[in-house]
Amino acid sequence: MRELFPAKQVWGFVLSLALTAAALLVYFFNMSRATGMTIFIVTAFIQAFVQLVVFMHARETDDSKSIFATLYYAIFIALITVFGTLLCMIWGWKY
Amino acid sequence: MKVDHSQPLEYSTEQNRLNILGFWVFLGAEIMLFGTLFTSYFTLVDRTGDGPTGAEIFEIFPVLMETFLLLTSSFVIGLGIHAMRLGKKKAMLTFFVITLLLGLGFLGFEIDEFMVYYHEGATLQTSAFTSMLFTTLGTHGAHVTLGFFWGLFIIIQVAKRGITPATANKSFIFSLYWHFLDVVWIFIFTFIYLEGMTRV
Amino acid sequence: MGYFAKFAVPHPSPAIYASMIAIVVTVFLIIFGLTYFKKWIYLWSEWITTVDHKKIGTMYLIAALLMLFRGGVDALMMRAQTAVPDNKLLDSQHYNEVFSAHGVIMIIFMAMPYIMAFMNIVVPLQIGARDVAFPRLNAVSFWLFFMGAMLFNISFVIGGSPDAGWTSYFPLADNEFSPSVGTNYYMIAIQIAGIGTLMTGINFITTILRMRAPGMTLMRMPMFTWSAFVTSIIIIFAFPVLTIALLMGTMDRLFETKFFAMTDGGMDMLWANLFWVWGHPEVYILILPAFGIFSEIIPTFSRRNIYGYKSMVISMVVISLYSFFVWTHHFFTMGQTAYVNSIFSITTMVIAVPTGIKIFNWLLTMWKGRIRFTVPMLYSIAFIPLFTIGGVTGVMLAMSAADYQYHNTMFLVAHFHNVIIPGVAFAVLAGSTYYWPKIFGFMLNERIGKWAFWFLTIGFSLAFFPMYITGLDGQARRMYTYSEASGYGLLNFVSFIGAAFMAISFVLIVYTIYYSIRHSPRHVGGDPWDARSLEWATHNPVPEYNFAIIPQVDSREPFWDAKYKRYELFKGDYKKIHMPNNSGVPFIMSALFFVFGFALVFSMWILAVISLIGIFICMAHRSFEIDHGHYISVEEIKETEVKMGGNHK
Repeated sequence: MRELFPAKQVWGFVLSLALTAAALLVYFFNMSRATGMTIFIVTAFIQAFVQLVVFMHARETDDSKSIFATLYYAIFIALITVFGTLLCMIWGWKY
Repeated sequence: MKVDHSQPLEYSTEQNRLNILGFWVFLGAEIMLFGTLFTSYFTLVDRTGDGPTGAEIFEIFPVLMETFLLLTSSFVIGLGIHAMRLGKKKAMLTFFVITLLLGLGFLGFEIDEFMVYYHEGATLQTSAFTSMLFTTLGTHGAHVTLGFFWGLFIIIQVAKRGITPATANKSFIFSLYWHFLDVVWIFIFTFIYLEGMTRV
Repeated sequence: MGYFAKFAVPHPSPAIYASMIAIVVTVFLIIFGLTYFKKWIYLWSEWITTVDHKKIGTMYLIAALLMLFRGGVDALMMRAQTAVPDNKLLDSQHYNEVFSAHGVIMIIFMAMPYIMAFMNIVVPLQIGARDVAFPRLNAVSFWLFFMGAMLFNISFVIGGSPDAGWTSYFPLADNEFSPSVGTNYYMIAIQIAGIGTLMTGINFITTILRMRAPGMTLMRMPMFTWSAFVTSIIIIFAFPVLTIALLMGTMDRLFETKFFAMTDGGMDMLWANLFWVWGHPEVYILILPAFGIFSEIIPTFSRRNIYGYKSMVISMVVISLYSFFVWTHHFFTMGQTAYVNSIFSITTMVIAVPTGIKIFNWLLTMWKGRIRFTVPMLYSIAFIPLFTIGGVTGVMLAMSAADYQYHNTMFLVAHFHNVIIPGVAFAVLAGSTYYWPKIFGFMLNERIGKWAFWFLTIGFSLAFFPMYITGLDGQARRMYTYSEASGYGLLNFVSFIGAAFMAISFVLIVYTIYYSIRHSPRHVGGDPWDARSLEWATHNPVPEYNFAIIPQVDSREPFWDAKYKRYELFKGDYKKIHMPNNSGVPFIMSALFFVFGFALVFSMWILAVISLIGIFICMAHRSFEIDHGHYISVEEIKETEVKMGGNHK
């Protein structure tokens, strides 16, 4: 039975729950928007990374370079799209 | 079909490795798909017209339940893949069934949540914000629904055909998909719900 | 009859009735011909169910040529309408429909499949593979594109064409201002084709990353394969944006959501934003493979290897990233601050740099080369100066302050035709001529091809250079007519003559094909152009398995080395070859997508649900299917090789 619950994955799960709880702190305690957003960004991205490495085994093949290149590229362009759009449509909008 | 026994079963043939890499590339495209939904969401989040804002309709309990269910299912399917690598078919199938049940629970909460919004007057047509909210959540929910049926097919195949290079490959790819849906949910949970509820 | 009223064309004209009759007659003739010549089974078993990358590529090629005809006729109609002031040939509504159809068809249903045709035919051969990574998915890609194209094309006889421009900006594209189902067709047909394109991107990235012949490192890949690789990367990150934008647009039209509405907080400009987040990378999706084709042709006919291989690769990779940073330059006048515009002005000007590097590399490849002026080479040589002019006017448009003068004038129209025609159209025509023997086993007639080239080049210059001037004089694009007093008459007439020249060139291209089918000698050998890369190391036309023995690579131009440096390309003996099986499911599933799309266009929900269930059944079938493919035995390989006049073993 033990062998069915590898420590790595159990710790990954515990870490995910802890990070979710950390993000919840922003909800339960009054803090500034900047602090709140920082906590959100940090916890969300760490959690995503935990999933990738612990659960999705993104590191274990010799294709892992291609896999990470794809992911980083995707995340980078997604962020460019998000912030570029906000720049045009919200922050830099005249009307 | 050449089988390489030094590798885990899901990587053991060249076609299997192609499938896994191809699916990762697909996930790259999915990141951009959800990235675009988030882009539009952030642009439209304050454009509520005469309708409610996020802070007015979001409730913490169902959201926490959904998060917990999906997080756990993601953990359980990871255990399922681990059992598969140990060659334990029964344990693997048990974990996969639990995963899908948790997914079903998630969908139940989400549908209930949508009904509540609907009764509070936040429909698909109320405002740009609600249109966007339902579309973003709905796209994720549609992915989970599709994943439910996909997972069901894979459970049937593993039960009937056993753990072979082909079924192991399919199960592994399905697990990637399921984990990815959890990753997307983390961002929805954080940047739509929590951000919406803490917004002043 | 009430039920069928919604299928009526809202704004009919004799031309549309004539088209309806023509379509019915053509369909009847095709069905009759297939039955009479007993070709149904051949069509089904050899083409519709095929998963062979070469046949799929050939079907892309044929579809693209048909769409080139349709889009070309639209272009001629527009130029004829604006040839003289106050012309009454088309009314404003028809003119709107024609330019919308022209844009969509030329970009999405002509240029895209044409590029896909070359990617399909050439890439597996260039990397020494037997097929793509996912042959079945490749068939799905093609049939989804094809069904999307068909869905779009029936719009003008059933229910009405889209009339909001190829960009379909909201609020114009919303139900209030575009009440006909035309824009539904736009949203859904492009969606279906777009899903197919996304799958192609995934397929080719995987193929190129994992299926290269032994010894072919990334930095030894031929330039076209590099360009296909980079294009696929752009595809997988750009097309999901379009998917979402079209989804939102469809929902606004069908379900009254408020994304781009004028009320309830909707934001119409968000459509323009998302459209161009996809739209600008799309430009590079088209142009990079075009660059790749030129990069194959120029070294071959200069008898020199490509100059600056590394800088070529780096500039493409930089473009792939950079193409996502510039989209705002499509709407400088929309309402952002000067600060935002300045940022995107600068990124836009910077992206001209890698393109400039490539231009110099081609020039230096030709420098001191022994140039042969074949048809493909003529297109490549004409491309360089013409494209450079288009690029320079692009930099003019990139300056946001000045753009307020050019925006949405004929100057812009001249600019993007000036990059797309010498860039993409010249490349695909050059590529067709260059790869024709590879695909069909005989050469296209050079003499007629040269006539076609000159008509096209001169016609292009006559048609589009005057638009720069009328544009600077203030002629807006998409205006269906203008007054005598505006003074645009003469230059527009020159444009019309240019368009007529281009039409003649199209006729000549079709005639070359016809003439060559009748008269060109067969058995041209494997290497009719004295080329350099691996696709020429096998027979013409290519046998099903591509290479009897997988080639070994140890340089950038292994085939050249094999020819002139006694390098041994094919080592070892024949072994049985594993090949994928044909399948009818991709076609059936895509046909169901067509029905699904059609049902959505007319809001026929029951039919939509039924066809959607059918699509899911196809997917479930694929999940449960056990398909190990089949083997080609050594005897069969030997037989084929002897029949083809095999030059190895």
